[in-house]
Amino acid sequence: MRPFAFLQPQSVREVVDHLAADPDARILAGGTDLIIGLRDGSVRASSVVDVKRVGELDGNIRAIDGGLAFGALTSMTDIAADERVRTAWTALAEGAAVVGSVQIRNRATLAGNACNASPAADTTPALLIFEAVVVVMGPDGERRIPIDELFVRSRTTTLRRGEVVLRIEIPAPSGRVGSTHARRTRRRGHDLASVTIACSVHESGETRLAFGSVGPRPILVRDDTGMLAAAETDDAERLPILDRLFAEAAPSPRSMRASPEYRQAMLRVLGLRAIAVARERVAGAAA
Amino acid sequence: MSADESPTAILRLTLNGRARSATVAQHRTLLDALRFDFGLTGTKECCLVGECGACTVLLDGRGVDSCLVLAFEADGADVVTVEGLAGDEGLDPLQQAFLDHGAAQCGFCIPGQLVAARALLEVNPAPTRADVEEGLAGNLCRCAGYEQIVEAVLDAATRAAGRGTHRSPESLADPAATPDATTAPQ
Amino acid sequence: MTTATTAPPDGLVGASPNRSGGIERVTGRQAYVADMPLEGALHVRLVTVPVARARILSIDAAAAFQLPGVALVMTAADLPDPMPRFGPQFRDRPVLAIGETKFHGDPVAAVAAETLDLAEAAAALVKVDYEQLPAVVTLEDALAPDAPLVQDPALRSGDPLAATNVLREHRYGWGDVDAARLGADVIVEGTYDFPMVTQFAIECHGFMAAPDGDGIAIWSSIQHPYWLQRVIASLLELPLAKVRVYAPDPGGAFGGKQHAKYEPLLAFMARRADRPMRLVLSLEETFQAVRRGAWRVHVRSGFQADGRLAFREVDADCLIGAYADIADRTVVKGSYTSAGPYVIPAVRINARSVLSHTVPSTAFRGFGNPQQIWATESNLDEAARVLSIDPVELRLRNLASRGQEFIPGDTPADGIWAESLQRAAERIGWTSPPSAGRGRGIAVGLKSGPTTGLSYATVRLLVDGSVVVAAGTSDMGQGARTIFAQIAAHELGAPLGWVSVVMGDTAVVPYDQQTSASRSSVLMGNAILAACREIQSKVRAMAARLEDVPEARITVDAGRVRLAAEDGGDARELPIADIVARGLGRLGGEVIGLGESRKEADPDHPLGGTSAFYEFNCTAVELAVDEATGDITILRHVIVSDVGRALHGAQVRGQDEGAAIMGLGHTLMEHYLFDDEGRIRNLGAIDYKIPTTLDLPRRIESEVVENGDGPGPYGAKGMSEGALLCVAPAVAAALRDATGVTIRDLPLSPERVWRALQEREPGVEAGAR
Repeated sequence: MRPFAFLQPQSVREVVDHLAADPDARILAGGTDLIIGLRDGSVRASSVVDVKRVGELDGNIRAIDGGLAFGALTSMTDIAADERVRTAWTALAEGAAVVGSVQIRNRATLAGNACNASPAADTTPALLIFEAVVVVMGPDGERRIPIDELFVRSRTTTLRRGEVVLRIEIPAPSGRVGSTHARRTRRRGHDLASVTIACSVHESGETRLAFGSVGPRPILVRDDTGMLAAAETDDAERLPILDRLFAEAAPSPRSMRASPEYRQAMLRVLGLRAIAVARERVAGAAA
Repeated sequence: MSADESPTAILRLTLNGRARSATVAQHRTLLDALRFDFGLTGTKECCLVGECGACTVLLDGRGVDSCLVLAFEADGADVVTVEGLAGDEGLDPLQQAFLDHGAAQCGFCIPGQLVAARALLEVNPAPTRADVEEGLAGNLCRCAGYEQIVEAVLDAATRAAGRGTHRSPESLADPAATPDATTAPQ
Repeated sequence: MTTATTAPPDGLVGASPNRSGGIERVTGRQAYVADMPLEGALHVRLVTVPVARARILSIDAAAAFQLPGVALVMTAADLPDPMPRFGPQFRDRPVLAIGETKFHGDPVAAVAAETLDLAEAAAALVKVDYEQLPAVVTLEDALAPDAPLVQDPALRSGDPLAATNVLREHRYGWGDVDAARLGADVIVEGTYDFPMVTQFAIECHGFMAAPDGDGIAIWSSIQHPYWLQRVIASLLELPLAKVRVYAPDPGGAFGGKQHAKYEPLLAFMARRADRPMRLVLSLEETFQAVRRGAWRVHVRSGFQADGRLAFREVDADCLIGAYADIADRTVVKGSYTSAGPYVIPAVRINARSVLSHTVPSTAFRGFGNPQQIWATESNLDEAARVLSIDPVELRLRNLASRGQEFIPGDTPADGIWAESLQRAAERIGWTSPPSAGRGRGIAVGLKSGPTTGLSYATVRLLVDGSVVVAAGTSDMGQGARTIFAQIAAHELGAPLGWVSVVMGDTAVVPYDQQTSASRSSVLMGNAILAACREIQSKVRAMAARLEDVPEARITVDAGRVRLAAEDGGDARELPIADIVARGLGRLGGEVIGLGESRKEADPDHPLGGTSAFYEFNCTAVELAVDEATGDITILRHVIVSDVGRALHGAQVRGQDEGAAIMGLGHTLMEHYLFDDEGRIRNLGAIDYKIPTTLDLPRRIESEVVENGDGPGPYGAKGMSEGALLCVAPAVAAALRDATGVTIRDLPLSPERVWRALQEREPGVEAGAR
């Protein structure tokens, strides 16, 4: 690995200042992507800024106004195990639970997963359906970025130079919601997904679907008609609706993990299955 | 920054229960620091991308791939490697169970398996078979001695709980009867 | 070869004592090559170019040398002219690529520096000017009439195939196939593909070399240390005695560590720099060092209406790599047994090893047989459907019975193979239909064991009754050390913990040909047994002298000295250790036995020798298919292996179940993917997937058949490959049973199964076994 300086600033201010001063600095939170990149040379860094000793940052999950705030250092393990997340934001708990192995989940952070902007990230579809907001601090002060405005394309976000994530907030649901996460992999053991999907069904009948791995960034779509979630709708009727919602899916023909045809087909299969699970859960939440 | 001017610093940590320190290059991974700077070669290197788990160590009680942790992230932390599993009274029950079940074949993955199993039992002292399979899914064994490894972990948990030896595989329920027998992969 | 004893095993042989070396393995003390300190060693990194085939125009190491701490940059120009070459079958592999790279990862230079970081940085600074050349990475490419040649025809002088990419063509057979074809009632044929997969030992290959007096010392995670010794001695023009090979237990090998890879390079570097060198490959480099041959096999089988096989024709093309390594031998051994364990009156086999600009393929558990068995057993299962004969019944009608010469001129069937088949069928509940949506499949695998062999062992019975065994086998996880200790302990009456087994040092351990073909329990086991016998005979003489009893009345066996009474009265029994302690007297010392075990070559035999034994396995699986996604869930995986005698129950189980799960890897998920430049796209663990604990069958059940009919100690046969041989055809048969879909390409990945289901013709049905 190429040498770099390792820094452990104590305050957000120090982080921001350092990032502003060193354009080749990289933020290290969980490190499970960054260190692979540093080793294989795809990421070059003159300095690595470990934010785990920053006083203002932590790995706690706090209740805020009926929603949750995930500290920048919150690990996948802690999200997957959190009872509040499992109950009310199930898709996020399920997405976090399939990120890599136990060892990876013990290090990987929600903020890192979002900032890394991999199209195959397992938690970003859930963040999209739950309308998460990424709160960042930068040279110009604090900024709130709706998650849908964070992603540009693979490995590229709208974060500006010198910005560091403080927390990710998920607002309170406006009513009862059932949600789930589904994915396709090449084996049952951990793998990068060839299709990821998060689905929520609101008691009002609104269905949200967010899908990843089938284009340069994850995409959020909504069915406000209530058709997808309705008990009277059968799957044959749901499919044309899903096809319209998934119109933006554009899986790369160059991927070695699955062909575009398979991904498109699995998007429909997983879409239907996820809707069924989410419907069941919203009904269960009513009971 | 070129390879010959890598900055170093003094790394201090609690390693297998003892306070240790060493001068370590700042870009070292914890894996390399353990193997080269502290001379603990029980922790193994294989994939270096967090897929195989051969380098698993406990970092403040949690199992991590030490190839994906920089050494100085562990500054001041408590680190346990396979060398630290055995106590004053001898082998850890997990180590003994691995021996008794013939779970170690070539042995190369075993340090990582043992540490991952220890991490699992710390949070879940009475795991089900499914818990063990999930807890060890990040540890590849190409000898594929998985059956004996899983049995050893279950047995160690049972022994630790003072419930005698774990039941033999023959007494397990017919898998065809388990309700989740056809659950699809994620 | 030594005649087997049929003495019944006592509580030691056949029991499952804890593994010798187990404590080291569970405490982290087991030292693999990469764990060994070597004072003053330089770290080596390889320099490659990012294409498969390139003409090397120039190599400029000036920038690399600018880094302080860079001691050596080795290129072809620094090696003797002509370039030294090596290889177990053909001396075709250069120590470093010269003129042209032949595959993605073929090193053109190597850098040695004081630290690994420096070596990496320096390797990146070595400037290689190259011109990319067209490469052949598939059978079609390699066999095209205008295909670029992988090997320089000058290396193959006198070879009529030198102007092609066919390295060797092998033709075997017996009977009159043409006549049999006319007489057959049903003919079933198909073409089957088995892709490139890699051994993926968790220990990446490690090598060290150091000047050692007027010779050289090599450390390698190698299966065949004595073969490596010969290679190094020949390349460096040293006597064997001046090449010392240390072979620490490999951290998994699976065939991939049989033969020399970068040890010759390190040896030349160590001598040039007069410094020790160490090179531990990355996993990615390991993928570029070893793989299994990819086969395309066309099988045509003819049957009588009653299911008896009338003939079989097999055409196998094996895509081997850029250098031959041992690949052609895998083609020979894998194709030769294409008739399987069946009695077939007419057989024609044509197999070709085809060179390509890919990673040199080498031995991999099963040694060519899994590829052939994938095809032939799948063909048999398809035939069962056409014939409307149950697949188990069809096999039973054709299996050779024990003693039958099913391959003319070779060792007759050495097991009651129907027993394995019947037990597997019974255990999986073959005769009762699986529940809806599920399918069952069954297949058998046969592999010819070692065809030649030579193993020596020394056994030293020390004055206190403890024992030191020296055996040149590599214990790479199969547990040879434990087996050897069990044999010596049993024969000499020592507690198991009083036996030390010394391995892995050619300077102190006597010669062993190799650790392969599941041979060691049989061949080395017999050598150890013979050494123990020699000790027993010396003890007998000792006892005669000490007890003043004629030798004729003394037997020594299983650790006991038995003195028959002159008048036929009660015999006296003494432990061997008592006699030895008294017999050695005041100066002490030890009793030394030398054992030798041979499997002689037969130059007229197509394989160079008959099979020492056969590995035979039957695998039956039950699975469920998610038809929407193509996912296969293995619900039950039943293994029955004919092992002759299980010398160590737990280790036998570990070998069988491990082989089965490894087989599920190539069956369900493993394959190399290439890009247009001939580079491996899924290089490394992120995109080359092998089974984890979450990918296990829901239930795996293994049994052994023990009829004591093997040539090894106590009737044992070798057994470490059997349960891998027929996993793929058993799973494919179960998939066919569940869905009606036949797939003839591996792996049976979700996407491939899904595609096949999409293309399923209406009316094709599941079941109909």
